Amino acid sequence: MADPNLKILVVDDFSTMRRIVRNLLKELGFANVHEAEDGVEGLNKLRSEGNFEFVVSDWNMPNMTGIEMLRAIRADEKLKHLPLLMVTAEAKRENIIEAAQAGASGYVVKPFTAATLDEKLKKIFATMK
Amino acid sequence: MNDFTGMEELLQDFLLEASDLLADVDSKLMDLEKRPDDKNTLNVIFRGFHTIKGGAGFLNATELVTLCHLTENLFDKLRNAELQLSPGLLDVILAATGEVRLMFNDLGRGVQPQSAPQPILDALEAALKGNAVSLSAAPAPAPAPAAPVISTALQAAAEKGPDWNALYQTLVGGVATPAPVAATATAPVVVAEGEVVVDEEKLKQSAFGRRTEDVPGRSAASASRREAEPAAKDNTIRVDTDRLDQVLNLSGEIGLTKNRLTHLRNDILGGRSDADTLKSLDESVSQLDMLVINLQNAVMNTRMQPIGRLFKKYPRLARDLARQLGKDVELVLSGEETEIDKTMIEDLNDPLVHLVRNSVDHGVESAEERAASGKSAKSMVYLSARQEGDHILISIQDDGKGMRPEVIRSKAIEKGLITLEEASALDESASLNLIFLPGFSTKDEISSVSGRGVGMDVVKTNISKLNGMITIDSAPGTGSTFTISLPLTLAILPVLLLRLSDQPFAVPLSMVREIMSVTAEGQQLISGRPTMVVRGEVLPVRSLASLIGWPDSGQSEVGVLMQVGNQSFILSADGFAGHDDVVIKSLDTFRPQGVAGVTMSSEGEIVLILDIKELLGEGNH
Repeated sequence: MADPNLKILVVDDFSTMRRIVRNLLKELGFANVHEAEDGVEGLNKLRSEGNFEFVVSDWNMPNMTGIEMLRAIRADEKLKHLPLLMVTAEAKRENIIEAAQAGASGYVVKPFTAATLDEKLKKIFATMK
Repeated sequence: MNDFTGMEELLQDFLLEASDLLADVDSKLMDLEKRPDDKNTLNVIFRGFHTIKGGAGFLNATELVTLCHLTENLFDKLRNAELQLSPGLLDVILAATGEVRLMFNDLGRGVQPQSAPQPILDALEAALKGNAVSLSAAPAPAPAPAAPVISTALQAAAEKGPDWNALYQTLVGGVATPAPVAATATAPVVVAEGEVVVDEEKLKQSAFGRRTEDVPGRSAASASRREAEPAAKDNTIRVDTDRLDQVLNLSGEIGLTKNRLTHLRNDILGGRSDADTLKSLDESVSQLDMLVINLQNAVMNTRMQPIGRLFKKYPRLARDLARQLGKDVELVLSGEETEIDKTMIEDLNDPLVHLVRNSVDHGVESAEERAASGKSAKSMVYLSARQEGDHILISIQDDGKGMRPEVIRSKAIEKGLITLEEASALDESASLNLIFLPGFSTKDEISSVSGRGVGMDVVKTNISKLNGMITIDSAPGTGSTFTISLPLTLAILPVLLLRLSDQPFAVPLSMVREIMSVTAEGQQLISGRPTMVVRGEVLPVRSLASLIGWPDSGQSEVGVLMQVGNQSFILSADGFAGHDDVVIKSLDTFRPQGVAGVTMSSEGEIVLILDIKELLGEGNH
């Protein structure tokens, strides 16, 4: 079973979406969820707090997109091992490839259910072990 | 009945946030008309549709997802310069945006939206395939000479309900506008190579047919959907967390002061009443006083919202209307950050919509008239808000032809609203105010656009309900200005307390000009009615007792010179009981004639707050 204290950061500019993701994570037993509203804030939180263990990020955001944030994370010595699940509205092939190349740990297309999210998370955790 | 059981909160969140987003998109679309290549603007709009789509997916609103998806893709191409924005294309986009809003209304009523009208979807698809409806790379506003055709067609379409305007514009925009011959308007539509060729008549039929015939059970739903449009009121409010913290802080301090008072009470009940104890009591009560006032203000602040949330809908409204009328109008906003009570924001929408429509429809002239009088082709309408003292002033100003008092007077006589004698007694400003009379309309026929059965009289009534006033300034030839003045909040009202035998009554202090003593000798009967002369002005005296239907005590000693609208009179009563800032409790289910609400006096008595206008109306009948 998942570690309920796993510290997760949800990055999305749409607060409704952050809430949806937060609720789905809660359904899966994760309660330690924090939020950021774009890549800039997300990266700041990751850097300043330092103890996040997982990131769920939207792709399309103002100021800094999810993919830009992901590249910055992978380029950061302290953060580069942080697993990141990319959330997008598209199942476009080139997007998936771009995300994979940038180092995304997983990719989930909106809308998704708790079960889908669970499956994606399990896959990511499995590869980490 | 409800398609969203179990998801209500999510739905509410989504609607609140997505509606804001859509309003932003709408205002950005207006910007786009001016700067069609602005990458940043295109990006923001793209993201708006994208975000709405993402949220809609979780609500299983597939039709909304489809519509947003197409529009988003279109903007993806636009921002990557794979497509060029043309006026025709912009119309398609605006129609799609309008449809998204309608879908939000459906969602607001707990109903899954049906598919968007096929012509809109088709037009989006066609545009995506590069069958762009643009002629030149540089987009120009819709050619003015074509507009009359559009507007006649629209009027015909309007009988089926106003929203077909948008739909029909899609067709017109998709076909007629880009054709070079549109300028001559009578020639058959010539379609450039690579453009979508659409049989207008057929499309129109299918467009109407889809909702009325093709889809069983849909016609009733779609009709009610349109009618129910304004029903979606949001019951939630966004509050700056700083303001909430302030409330929390103050309630904490009030708690502390209460503890101190409880302690003092025990001391006093226990027999201690030395100077120190009393001084502490005095201090604590004063402090509580100050804290409560601060708390009231802080709570009131949480209800204050920037008026820009309301304003930003109007440029689109003005633009659509102007295009239908073949005018070129720009609505310029200012003072959007001015804050106003949330309830007022909602109730202001209808009057402001009407005033904006009025300015575009009646205020500014047609292109020909403007050219003839040497004005620039583009008309400007300015909508602004500002705070002045404890009032909010909202003004809407146009650079149109203005209003001539004599024209309005003769119109009012013609319509039988006033007599010739009455007319001759009116000065300029009183003449302009005639347009607020029920049944007055400066245009001979109600046009399809500003019709809708709402007139300036309704604007005035709505503003009065908010304790506000509306005034007109007009200079023939250069334009008109409507100014609405509103109190900052409706919740706290300064009142004057009058006494009738032992019962106190409250009247709004804003209506009080002065107070005076009233004696039987000072009054004269003019045609059987008591009057008093105050500094040369003959004023009727009405006793409060007779207005509320009490027997006249004959003890009236004090008078209040009241100003209600343009009317002045002296309200006589037995005495004064002071003045107070009261919190109005409205009587929702039981509302006697002439009573605006109730409050409680400092002695704990129930005090009725009188609605003087209503009382007078009753008395005059």
